[in-house]
Amino acid sequence: MPEPATDMVLLKAAGTPPRLLAKALFLAGLLLLACLASLLFGAGDVGPVRALTWLLGGGDDEAHFVISTLRAPRALIGLTVGMALGVSGALLQAVARNPLAEPGLLGVSAGSAFAVALILVMGASAATLRVGVAQIGALVGCLCVLGVARLRGVDGDPIRLVLAGAAFTGLLGALTSLLLLYDQRAADEIRFWVVGSLSGRRLDDLVAIAPGLLVAGVITLLIARPLASLALGERVATGLGHQPKLIRLLVIFSVALLVGSATAVAGPIAFVGLVVPYAARALAGPDIRRTLWLCLLLGPLMVITADIISRLLVAPSEMPLGVLTALCGAPVLVAVVRARRLPSL
Amino acid sequence: MSTRIPFSTIRLSRLVSAGAVSLLLAMVSASPVLARTLDTAYGEVEIEGEPQRVVTLYEGALDVSVAAGITPLAAVATRGGEGVASYLESDVPGIAIVGTARETNLEAVVAQSPDLILASPQLPQEQYAILSRIAPTLVPLTEETTAESWKDEARFFAKGLGKASQIEQRLEELERRAEAIAEHVSAQGSPGASLVRWMPQGPLVMSEQLFSTGLLAAAGFEVTDAGLVKGGRPHSDPLSLENLARIDNDWLFLATLNEEGEAALESARTSPAFSRLSAVENDRVVPVNGQLWTSATGPLAASAILDRIAEVTGAGTGD
Repeated sequence: MPEPATDMVLLKAAGTPPRLLAKALFLAGLLLLACLASLLFGAGDVGPVRALTWLLGGGDDEAHFVISTLRAPRALIGLTVGMALGVSGALLQAVARNPLAEPGLLGVSAGSAFAVALILVMGASAATLRVGVAQIGALVGCLCVLGVARLRGVDGDPIRLVLAGAAFTGLLGALTSLLLLYDQRAADEIRFWVVGSLSGRRLDDLVAIAPGLLVAGVITLLIARPLASLALGERVATGLGHQPKLIRLLVIFSVALLVGSATAVAGPIAFVGLVVPYAARALAGPDIRRTLWLCLLLGPLMVITADIISRLLVAPSEMPLGVLTALCGAPVLVAVVRARRLPSL
Repeated sequence: MSTRIPFSTIRLSRLVSAGAVSLLLAMVSASPVLARTLDTAYGEVEIEGEPQRVVTLYEGALDVSVAAGITPLAAVATRGGEGVASYLESDVPGIAIVGTARETNLEAVVAQSPDLILASPQLPQEQYAILSRIAPTLVPLTEETTAESWKDEARFFAKGLGKASQIEQRLEELERRAEAIAEHVSAQGSPGASLVRWMPQGPLVMSEQLFSTGLLAAAGFEVTDAGLVKGGRPHSDPLSLENLARIDNDWLFLATLNEEGEAALESARTSPAFSRLSAVENDRVVPVNGQLWTSATGPLAASAILDRIAEVTGAGTGD
């Protein structure tokens, strides 16, 4: 296929058909509703009616405190974490060209968990933990995976990269277990961190991860187009003047930033990065430039909805969010695997 | 089911060289204590004489032993620690650690050649089968852990150690001590209290039926877990930060697993939901040692907890 024609095809595909716009608007509406619901529902005594009264300018002190100090930051963090996880999933699946690739596989979550375990063993307490530790752990974990892949000279092959990630995740997991076996107290503290949660996180944490997210966002905008051409094959992308190796490296770097930031704030949250891009492809087809936008809406939609359910299921206690997303995500994964035809990338 | 263990046979078969001397000693010193039969979780166990080489595989049993004046040769590590709980450290210098509450290193137990093993009520049958071949093993028959069950366990272990009257006396002293504090605390109008472990996403509320919450109640507090702890469990699931009002009592006892109680309190204060609790505003939050308050049991632990309660309520250390 001559190059200009390919470019024309790409350009045409990039145009936004009205039906997709309608879907995106619908999702945005749903997300808005979810955010509102996130302010209205909680495990406590401030029910929807009281919350709504306060939102409309009336109301009492308790509602003011619960909504402005507890629920609003939570919704905001859910929004951010959901976007980061959704986008990172789409990026990674596109670059690995495998619908079952999961951001956790790059050693990112395992890296954060190991860093957190290490710092706990060294005497910190889960209550005083700062987000930087998990973020650095995520990046280091990811860089190790990249390093291993380069060392073996397989960094040109995305599938092998994921395999290296899986191996490294296993290794880090084993090291974490070893540390925790050695230190009972740390084991006791970390068991509540390893199931992610949005509760009790501070807005300061959000500020702390903002730079990382910003960098990842800019990279993502820059590489969306080359990544789409990469989907047509290595030779096509090279022919269009892109550098597949560089693209892959940038994608992985931004995935590490996104997942590292999300994990640092909320702990590991399973399956969002896997399920959201899958749903986005079902709605918008395989073009990464479209799925990315939908992931920005679908990710937070899933996280915030799951968070609301996690508050209501076992009130007055709360179920950890990570458990809930895994419960919702697992059936979707099974459905993907059992589907007659895996959605191709 | 009745498991009778021929005490002297085991000793003779297990202890070959070093055993001979200590056996002789044991028989000499054993004479004043009568043989006794204990009703354990795994049937009746008969004990003769006064045990000399005791291994405790349960923090409560270690406490009772030390309180009875018998220093065990080996014990298990406290929850979240590498040695015994810090309140007992100075009483048992150089004690061997033969495992954790969850896992016992059987070889290390054998190496101590014990003549009595005191174990936790949760000791599984398979473990018992092995341990009881090393030495007579006493597993208290505790159906359901309540705030009072530690006393029966203390009496049970004391009987096994041949020190029943000493421990009975200790328990009576503790009761009098608690009553004295309760008199002082009740004068403040039976204040409410809760024991929690703070975590950023919400506290774990400790059951009313724990050893330490039982002591708080005995010391005159109206202890409550606000009905959050489901039957038989030691603590609740993480309580939603929206529902902190349920544990907003006059006093809040904050158990921490690491030593820095004050640091844990400081970090809890960074949570806006925590710092608006009335107990926090009135400065009635007491950081307490989690090893002592949520892991240990026994007369010495009780005494240490009552000391802390007396200290913070201003009831005096009154000995």
